[in-house]
Amino acid sequence: MEHARHVVRVVLLVMVVLAVAFLARGFLVPRSYGMYGPYRYDNVREQMNVRRPAHAGPAACEQCHPDEATARKAGVHRNVSCEVCHGPFAAHVKEDGSVVTPTVDRSYTLCARCHRKVDGRPAGFPQVVLEEHVSGPVEGKVCLGCHNPHSPKL
Amino acid sequence: MPPEISGFAFPNDVHVWWSLMIVMYPYITGFVAGAFIVTSLFHLFGRTEFKPIARLAMATSFSFLLVASMPLQLHLGHPERGPLVMITPHFTSAMAGFGILYSGYLLILLLEVWFVWRPEIVLRARRSRGPKRAFYAALALGTYDIGPEALEVDHGAITLLAGIGLPAACMLHGYVGFIFGAIKANPWWSTPLMPVIFLCSAAVSGIALLMVLYQVVSKLRGGEPDQPCVSALARWLWFFLILTITLELLEIIVMAYERSESWLIISELLTTRLEFSYVTMQLIVGGLIPLILLAVVVLMNRYLHERVRNTLSTVAALLCLVQVFSMRWNIVVGGQLLSKSLRGLRAPYEPELFGREGVLMAIALLVAPFVILWIFDRVLGIDPPEKTGAASPAEPPADVPARVRSA
Repeated sequence: MEHARHVVRVVLLVMVVLAVAFLARGFLVPRSYGMYGPYRYDNVREQMNVRRPAHAGPAACEQCHPDEATARKAGVHRNVSCEVCHGPFAAHVKEDGSVVTPTVDRSYTLCARCHRKVDGRPAGFPQVVLEEHVSGPVEGKVCLGCHNPHSPKL
Repeated sequence: MPPEISGFAFPNDVHVWWSLMIVMYPYITGFVAGAFIVTSLFHLFGRTEFKPIARLAMATSFSFLLVASMPLQLHLGHPERGPLVMITPHFTSAMAGFGILYSGYLLILLLEVWFVWRPEIVLRARRSRGPKRAFYAALALGTYDIGPEALEVDHGAITLLAGIGLPAACMLHGYVGFIFGAIKANPWWSTPLMPVIFLCSAAVSGIALLMVLYQVVSKLRGGEPDQPCVSALARWLWFFLILTITLELLEIIVMAYERSESWLIISELLTTRLEFSYVTMQLIVGGLIPLILLAVVVLMNRYLHERVRNTLSTVAALLCLVQVFSMRWNIVVGGQLLSKSLRGLRAPYEPELFGREGVLMAIALLVAPFVILWIFDRVLGIDPPEKTGAASPAEPPADVPARVRSA
């Protein structure tokens, strides 16, 4: 053993190197890495915080607009979110609480997105061939001339 | 000049992303494994004819290993992330294997180099003064014991490390073949033969490099290369070249005989885009010619004059180096010339001259290990110890046959 002192030293040195590597690994691998797969889970929360959701859902609208919410719930558009036509919540109510008048999409193209006659849609779903349904040019806010969007049934 | 695209190629198949640097990566790694095989033949298998180059082989393997990850760093950019592949390997990636095998082999080789050169380190520490002494003392880890008992311990450690190092070197280079062999979407790469071919060609490149290096170093030192050593190198080079060429041909022959759906495009690839690099360079200039030259050296060994033997062996070794480079090129670049449609080919790849992945950088990568080798020689001295007057644990005592000692 007396003549193997250098071996002991080199083995100790290797152990120190390995220990440093393992310690470095401990610092370098993020804590939430591998929690749900080969990625850093904390990144999900960080991205969520960076990107504030633009849409808030009908419940958020109801807090200030109870009458419109009641009308919507009573009508056939009860499953259509307010933000589909009125735009995202975040564009209406800013982060500092100030309110901006939203840009409402009243165009016939928005209505046609769901109600244009498409063979693949269920037969019971209200859908029309626009050119036959509308007397006159199909343009602008032509649908709203007859239908109330909150309760569109005539 | 063929058109940019011939046949039907998918739009995302027309780029050669794996550049010249990815050709250099297995080429340089191959030298590491090949040179280590030579040093193991002496340290592990008692082939005493390799004694004159055992230390040169180990130093060469070490020098090339230090450069082996450079092509990858140059290809990927972000060199600061390079060490992470060793410390934080991502086990869903095949490259995790590189991190583990490279760092493991580096550790083994560093230890083996340290044990083999320890007597020189100690002698230089004793002879030097000032900062130089501190440097060598630090390298010697503060212990100056190079008595017969300590050298005996060193010899045991070297044998043990060579025993671990040889499979590690084989794994390191077999793994490089695996990286390509495991890409199942590419029929030119996806074959279980790939790691074996890479390993055999690594032995060819390593032995060939040592042959050339030994001749050059001997001339530079004003001596003549040891002829039994040259003969032994030629014999082993011939053996591994036969293995490599046989396996490379078998791979093609099996594909051709099977008439698999991919053969249509691979045969076109080999006879059009890779005609020069595959048929001319890999098979004829780098394969057939050195095969014949080495056959002459091996089969007519006793009738050859020293100069003829040296010349034939060196020329054959140089051609073998060309063969292995062509093989790496044909695998790496060839696999990217064919479209996944298996019905189209892109124009041959021409690497840029300047730039991070250019030809000049590739030349610099090839020169770098020799610069490291020169520094190694300046710091520790590569020459066998009898020339410098120091005893070495790598050298079995004269009264015991090396074969017995290493058993």
